[in-house]
Amino acid sequence: MTALESTSPSLAATSPAFTFSASTFQKLHPTEFFRKFASQGVRPDGRLLNAFRPTTVHYGVITTANGSAMVRIGGTTVVCGVKAEVAEPKLHTPDHGYFVPNVDLSPICSGAFRPGPPSAQAQVVSESIDRVLKESKVLDLKDLCIEEGKAVWALWVDVVCVSYDGNIYDAALTAVMAALANVRIRKPTYDEGVVKVSGAEDMNDDNSFKLKLARTPLSATFALFDTSLTVLADPNDSEESICDGSISVTLDEHGQLCAVSKVGAGSSSQSLLKQCIDRTRERATELRAIMSQQQQ
Amino acid sequence: MTSVADAVVPGQRLGHVQEYIAGAGTYALQDFLYASVVGLKQISRTSDNELPTMTVQRENSQSAIPEIEAIVTCKVVRVNPRFASVNIMVVDGKPCKDDFQGIIRVQDVRATEKDKVKIYNSFRPGDIVRAQVISLGDARSYYLSTAANELGVIFGTSVAGGSLVPISWQEMQCTKTKVIELRKCAKPMQ
Amino acid sequence: MDRKRVAGPELSVAPLIEYPVDHKRWTPQQEKRHDSKRQPEDMRPIYLKTGLIGQASGSAYIELEKTKLACGVYGPKPVKRIGQTFSGRGLLTCEIKFATFSCAKRRNQMRDPQEKELSQILTQALSPAIRLDLLPKSAIEVYITVLESDGLGSCFSAAITAASVALAHAGIEMLDLVAGCSASYIQTGPARSISSGAESIPPQIFMDADLEEEKYEQGSIVLAYMPSLNEVTHVLQSGKAEGSIISQSVEHCVEACNKIYAVMHHALLESVKENQTQL
Repeated sequence: MTALESTSPSLAATSPAFTFSASTFQKLHPTEFFRKFASQGVRPDGRLLNAFRPTTVHYGVITTANGSAMVRIGGTTVVCGVKAEVAEPKLHTPDHGYFVPNVDLSPICSGAFRPGPPSAQAQVVSESIDRVLKESKVLDLKDLCIEEGKAVWALWVDVVCVSYDGNIYDAALTAVMAALANVRIRKPTYDEGVVKVSGAEDMNDDNSFKLKLARTPLSATFALFDTSLTVLADPNDSEESICDGSISVTLDEHGQLCAVSKVGAGSSSQSLLKQCIDRTRERATELRAIMSQQQQ
Repeated sequence: MTSVADAVVPGQRLGHVQEYIAGAGTYALQDFLYASVVGLKQISRTSDNELPTMTVQRENSQSAIPEIEAIVTCKVVRVNPRFASVNIMVVDGKPCKDDFQGIIRVQDVRATEKDKVKIYNSFRPGDIVRAQVISLGDARSYYLSTAANELGVIFGTSVAGGSLVPISWQEMQCTKTKVIELRKCAKPMQ
Repeated sequence: MDRKRVAGPELSVAPLIEYPVDHKRWTPQQEKRHDSKRQPEDMRPIYLKTGLIGQASGSAYIELEKTKLACGVYGPKPVKRIGQTFSGRGLLTCEIKFATFSCAKRRNQMRDPQEKELSQILTQALSPAIRLDLLPKSAIEVYITVLESDGLGSCFSAAITAASVALAHAGIEMLDLVAGCSASYIQTGPARSISSGAESIPPQIFMDADLEEEKYEQGSIVLAYMPSLNEVTHVLQSGKAEGSIISQSVEHCVEACNKIYAVMHHALLESVKENQTQL
């Protein structure tokens, strides 16, 4: 009934007698709709199968945080803010600070999320970011010590998703790393149970310090469509909902693997995994270029 | 003939009630006509002795909600002897962002021989049905009807998993196994 | 203990900030505003943009210098509340969430009573402007995330402004847009007191006060106003002030709301223009 856009391949074959507009067809048969595109080597948003969406990174967007960054990957926007507060260290690690990353997928960013405690997806993303950063020893927690056994810095790293359109892991990890690189904490003085910082002037190299990051892990995510016959780089929300599984590869700047995870159904051969790692290498280099370009 | 100059926002005054009739996207309050949505204003004249109608063409269309007499496309989720429960997915050709719930009661399946209708011989879970909204229904569901030639199942999957093609108004055939299954079919619109 | 989040220390506090003896902090006695650029009746410049959140029916992002917040509107959608009875009117729910890093002190991830209160006030301020009678059996959800707050009053009035623009952007039928504006009463000279009987000056009204100015306020007002219908939808006055000061500040706020309306109008027309160029 309705003419299809010139970009979309023929969608007439579902039922001989009924034709739909493209948006109606997508709603009724999302998988079939996507398959028509994938068979032509393109995706509904016009990307090639292995193409990532345009990405931007902005540093220091929040002045109430010690460090912050806003990352956009296509329609996904996340803001990460790092707040440094003083806490008592744990008994068995008296000189270790705290590093607490959390990702919040609130109902503002997508209709799929409900208000209330974090969803399973938010918990998984928080947990994987925590694991990647701790296990690849990005941060030496001893750097966060103020007075051994008495006071340490607690870094609260909170990621807020403002707009959700898939691939939250890549966006959140990039935002966390960018915000950590942006952190500046005033040099503290410890005096009989009280930690003081000077509030005199703007922060500079004399009265504040930056975090020493041992490495900067960055990731790329691929979705597996139709039991891994089709690999989609940087899936958006509608692609995530019809895909069987995904592969996330995390690499540091020396090209060393920090984490590889594969979730969901769909088998992945060795060659497929290698292909994903190679593509991640290219992507990580691009992403690093974007990040250093913006850094002051 | 639309241009950005005709763009209005809610609350913008469009004219006097004695000059225009309030159409879609506008409302009249006391002596004046105001816009109630963001969009482009249009004035249409139907006949010479009537006042022209002022409408505002919605710019960013609100996600569709079912209204009485609207034609909807829905998916059957549950059936029982009294009614079929459906998820309304498309209203008047516009996809809904969130699915609304609806039911097709046994007496609303077809127009004639209503007492002989069996829900299970009309709809099965998973079928895509074209129907008409007949009432806002109860607290949860809209009431739908398929009592017209062009309303009914438009797409279905057989027990064997093949797609079904209509062969009469109450029978569909599986493309794989050629088994005939019973449905209230919609007559294809030409 | 929150088992659904990565756990941190049970208690953490912001470090004590120590100012040098010769450090000059802003005080209202200086007769100047904290940012020393504005006059008492000036607001901060507003940046307002629609269509930031792709998945939402409508969205808006507003920035008043440091204050930044995003608003997403979802709906009309089916009411999914258990025990809901048939309703001929739409149901409006609003929720304001402060990001943990949005204020000077870290906020908890859990919803606190202040957020709950602000959410309720927002619902009351917006619902008179929405034609809920046209949306039977449907719900409209308004979500606001405050990314950075520089003054609670201004943050809340920005939330009202952003929410009504996002509702209009979602194509929901409204009687009018709602602009929000805040003002603080700040004593810039010696306060009036009965016992001394000395010469005194009335408090100064500072429009759109920032966080530093709010620390000195005696009271504040947040006004929600429909500019073209010339109707007030909500007033929240708190603190001590004389009647004349309050009526004066309401006038100031109404005036400021008319200026904000121009910004809202512009932002919505921009979204229309963008749609036109896409076609």
